[in-house]
Amino acid sequence: MPGQIRTRDVVINGLWVDNPVFHQILGICSALAVTNLVINTVVMSVAVIFTTALSGFTVSLLRKWTPRVIRMMVETLIIAFYVILFDQALKAYWPDMSRSLGPYVGLIITNCIIMGRAEAFANANPPGISLLDGFFSGAGYALVLIAVSIVRELLGMGSILGIPVPFFSTQLDRWIIMVMPPGAFFTLAVIVWILRSLQQSRSGETGK
Amino acid sequence: MTFGAQLTHLLVILFASIFTENILLARFLGMCSFLSVSRQIKTAVGLGFAVVFVMTFTVGLDWLAYRFVLQPYHIEYFRFILFIVIIAAFVQFVEMAIERYSPVLYQNLGIFLPLITVNCAILGASLFMVIREYGFVEGVVFGLGSGIGWMLAIVAMAGIREKLAHSRIPKGLQGPGITLIIAGLMALAFIGFTGVLSGG
Amino acid sequence: MKMHDKVWFPVLYMFLATLFFSAILIVFGAFTRQRVEDNERIAFERAVLEAVPIELAKRISPAEIHRLYVENIRDATPQTGGALLYMKDDSLIAYALPLDGPGFWAPIKGVIGIAQDMRMITGIAFYEQNETPGLGGEITKPQFRNQFEGKKLATGGVPLEMRLPTEALDESSVHAITGATQTSTRFADFMNEQLRAWRATVEER
Repeated sequence: MPGQIRTRDVVINGLWVDNPVFHQILGICSALAVTNLVINTVVMSVAVIFTTALSGFTVSLLRKWTPRVIRMMVETLIIAFYVILFDQALKAYWPDMSRSLGPYVGLIITNCIIMGRAEAFANANPPGISLLDGFFSGAGYALVLIAVSIVRELLGMGSILGIPVPFFSTQLDRWIIMVMPPGAFFTLAVIVWILRSLQQSRSGETGK
Repeated sequence: MTFGAQLTHLLVILFASIFTENILLARFLGMCSFLSVSRQIKTAVGLGFAVVFVMTFTVGLDWLAYRFVLQPYHIEYFRFILFIVIIAAFVQFVEMAIERYSPVLYQNLGIFLPLITVNCAILGASLFMVIREYGFVEGVVFGLGSGIGWMLAIVAMAGIREKLAHSRIPKGLQGPGITLIIAGLMALAFIGFTGVLSGG
Repeated sequence: MKMHDKVWFPVLYMFLATLFFSAILIVFGAFTRQRVEDNERIAFERAVLEAVPIELAKRISPAEIHRLYVENIRDATPQTGGALLYMKDDSLIAYALPLDGPGFWAPIKGVIGIAQDMRMITGIAFYEQNETPGLGGEITKPQFRNQFEGKKLATGGVPLEMRLPTEALDESSVHAITGATQTSTRFADFMNEQLRAWRATVEER
């Protein structure tokens, strides 16, 4: 096992170096589906951070006992557990938000980021640092997604978090395409382009 | 319903799931493998067939599980876990069977199977089947169509990317960036189909 | 650990793990079930109150919703074709017909209020939907719902027509949501089917 992994490395990894969305290109499904409104993206991000952190923690706790051959099934079980828990809690304590998030609950379970972190990190590291790694990978995901959703909601509906923004809601014509699938693809493509170029020029070598 | 009306209804579900409600371009499911395996037509076709096969069968199996296990005991919220377990078990079983009985098929198809277990489109198709309250035959047809639609998208993408392989693309845009743009253009094209059918 | 090498260990492990996590979920589910059901009940009652011409404060508590509901709404009977009744001093003011049918992603459930003359619409509200936020999800917003107030159900043909945002409207039609044709048409289809069935039941008395 490698030497003690520093907290600082985990933070920078999750948010920038190994950013799950624009560097590893994971979790794209929900990156496209949820980002037409900022509020949904925020709630989805909270759900992903919660799930990735806690499932990383749990997978790490069990890593010495889990047989290799059923490893992925157990990971999926743990992830599904936290997602259903989150969904049930919403239904009970914040029903309006639960109704908005409804169709996307299933998407969280198959979100490749969560499984990816469990496989790549939680399986081989202690619980404490796995929790942090999960948290910051989720945060890295959140940052990119919120950026995409701000662009899409601003251009597509002239608002952010439902509040109309001057100029965008009054003078600029709405770009309906931003609210629909192609807009999602294009916005994400541009943001990935910008962030990857930044990352590559800083490290001075080709990305993955 | 008369047989003719039933058949038409099933055909509408089939065509809608392939074109107007394409599980990848309109529902965004199955993106991860779509982005990484779409470089060459050969591999795309291989993965595509595997997806069609697994999706059709698992939607059927999941329907049976939902109808005969989850609903009678009022534990519908367990469908997430049960469906994934069924999918993983099915894929594992198929992989073992192929490896044993047809090394040739295993060479071409078998290696894609583990990739499919984590393909969100497979689970997604089953979840939609539940939401839309399809019957068994409708569900299987929907699964088949969704799989074909997914395969169509990935093969088309591979075809385009093979042609682009010799073009100069800015460094930051290479790989996922340009693939997302192409996907966006394809999604735009598929939207054109929406007026043709009123799906499902 | 030697146990790991036994063939049965993975199966046992999987079984135990599933049992463990499922048990927690079931306990949590049972613990929150009452709250969830209450939330759903209140959402339905609120939709009924919003569909009929009752004044509702902007911020209204669940207890207040329940009180208003119990005071003013009578249960459906076979003669009312499934519609609830808004009664004041023993006279019927409006019907509240629950609507339930398939949307684009998931079932859409709502309530439509129809005046005593069985033609004029007093309002419409939704208590369950899972459509695309910003598109189909807009059916819950005042912009879409307000168009229904004052419209009249057509006597023949389609009771309430759903037209494209670009077309002109008459007293028996409303606009679909821009960019959400699927949700709008699916909703219109089952709404009209259920309106027709309701009218037929009540009219034959």
